[in-house]
Amino acid sequence: MRRIYFISLFIPVLFSGCNQSSSGEKTGETGDKKLTVGVTMLSMQNEFIVNVSDEIEKKAQESGVELITVDAERSALKQIEQVESFIAQKVDVIIMNPCEVEASSPAVTKALAANIPIINVNSETTAKPSAFIGSDDVESARIAMKFIAEKLGGKGNVVMMHGYMGQAAQIKREQGAREILKQYPNLKLIAHQTGEWDRAKAMSLMENWIQSYGTTINAVFAQNDEMGMGAVKALTDAGLKDKVIVVSIDAIPDALQAVKKGTLDATVFQNAEQQGAKAIETAIKIAKGEAYEKETLIPFQLVTKQNLAKFMK
Amino acid sequence: MENPVQTDRNPVGISTKNRIRGIGQYGIFIAFILICLVLSVVTPKFLTVSNLTIVVTQVSINALLAFGVTFVIITGGIDLSIGSTVAVTSVVAASFAHPDTYPVVVPILAGLAAGLLLGAFNGLVITKSKVPPFIVTLGTMTIGRGLALILSKGRPVSNLSDSFNFIGGGHLLGIPTPILILIVFFIICSVVLKKTVLGRYMYAVGGNEQAAQASGIQLNKVKMVVYTLCGGLAALAGILLTSRITTGQPNAGVGFELDAIAAAIIGGTSTSGGTGTMTGTLIGALLIGVISNGLDLMNVTSYYQQVVMGIIIIGAVVLDSLNQNKN
Repeated sequence: MRRIYFISLFIPVLFSGCNQSSSGEKTGETGDKKLTVGVTMLSMQNEFIVNVSDEIEKKAQESGVELITVDAERSALKQIEQVESFIAQKVDVIIMNPCEVEASSPAVTKALAANIPIINVNSETTAKPSAFIGSDDVESARIAMKFIAEKLGGKGNVVMMHGYMGQAAQIKREQGAREILKQYPNLKLIAHQTGEWDRAKAMSLMENWIQSYGTTINAVFAQNDEMGMGAVKALTDAGLKDKVIVVSIDAIPDALQAVKKGTLDATVFQNAEQQGAKAIETAIKIAKGEAYEKETLIPFQLVTKQNLAKFMK
Repeated sequence: MENPVQTDRNPVGISTKNRIRGIGQYGIFIAFILICLVLSVVTPKFLTVSNLTIVVTQVSINALLAFGVTFVIITGGIDLSIGSTVAVTSVVAASFAHPDTYPVVVPILAGLAAGLLLGAFNGLVITKSKVPPFIVTLGTMTIGRGLALILSKGRPVSNLSDSFNFIGGGHLLGIPTPILILIVFFIICSVVLKKTVLGRYMYAVGGNEQAAQASGIQLNKVKMVVYTLCGGLAALAGILLTSRITTGQPNAGVGFELDAIAAAIIGGTSTSGGTGTMTGTLIGALLIGVISNGLDLMNVTSYYQQVVMGIIIIGAVVLDSLNQNKN
């Protein structure tokens, strides 16, 4: 249903992209000064991104803003084309959820050159947009690793599972984890390896680590919940879960269930709703010429058994 | 339909091929033993019962996929869709595997049906359209990935029953169930390939399609069966994976087809068709598993793991072509 909706939204964008005169007509029609906001999202296959987009849509409807939402399907090239067509349609503001730090940058430059304000939501680009709304991935890993450090009393052996090597989220989450490790010299990172964000891969990796390090592992930090769940399964099968702390990031429904059961010790929640709401609020402020924040950082929150109820839907 | 004269002629052709294959197979077997020896010396954690058990458990999924793709490659085809079949099966099986809903045979049968259907679809399009299998199965790969996302609405399907989770996570007589499943299907696939008329037809079709057709073998029937079988084995791998990680994953199995094809090729299955054995494929899969496990034990980064794996694949193919030239 949602897909059909987005496709139907995408069709006029395509047409106006090819034919500039028709887009002129379209802006002419909105003579009642109804704001039009173009939104391009990284991937509508990603649960988190869908949540951000849903909130933008909800808030836009409440404020009577017309939205044109498109899916970039993880392609920076496609995203740039989408922004170009937003420019051709003369939308009032563009909200972009960038696919890539570098490769999506030209979209920002082009929008600003055409005098259309552009807001980056959730992740950054090297080119500076009119405003940024998101959370700092480095911070999420700091929170996770800090939880491990405190649980272990600042002493013990940790293993870390990376996402796809070289992706922005992987780099930042590694950076945050290492910052905390530096503060606790007795907390040792004995092994780290990629689990490619994948549950099955992470499970095999954890099994291999158990063979190689056995009971010397005190804690696992997985850079996302999928991998965290894989680690939990391997540790449970080996009868070691009670002795090893597992913490991961994202707070997906499965992870929240696992925190409830006590198999996952903690996860870190990134607030999709607030990111979406702030993005559209800022877009309206910019369009109306009101004062707005250049950068809004939505804080991450640690989810443990104690505060779990707040996050379960 | 059966023509005793021609079926008699085929085994003769195969036996010479089997002899050539024998050399390649020993080569890969020797390489496998050597790598195991090196790993045992380098890391004391490698040669333990518990570690080897884990390696074989981890290998089981890739091996099942590789058995299926070995059938296909022997007939001169290829199947790129099996990774996506794993995802579809995973989602379908998981949807029927919630606790207190259906008995455990239902998710198994539903998953198998999904895989067999996708396989049969491949077979049907390939035989009816004469479009190369590479392209048809590339299309099915994308269709399958989309289907898995549609069926699951892009979210993992969790909360599965204990009896379902036993399939890939349980033990029988102290042996992990995936290993038992692997052994059973290794035997079945070997028998099908070596001891049945169907198996002989597969070699014949891959060895020389015109000759096979001239001798009365119904090409389309053989291909149809082979792609369906491949889909069925992929479904089995998908069920095993789902049960092992206790969730249905629409994103599961990305790139699995390449690991499976690699296992078959390392094991001496020729991409030009007509040659290959299940024993070779099993050793190929074990080799991949052992290397990945060994490098993990030594905490070698995945960057090097990929390089090592690539070198081994190329090495195996070079070995294979040298053997063929000798002939």
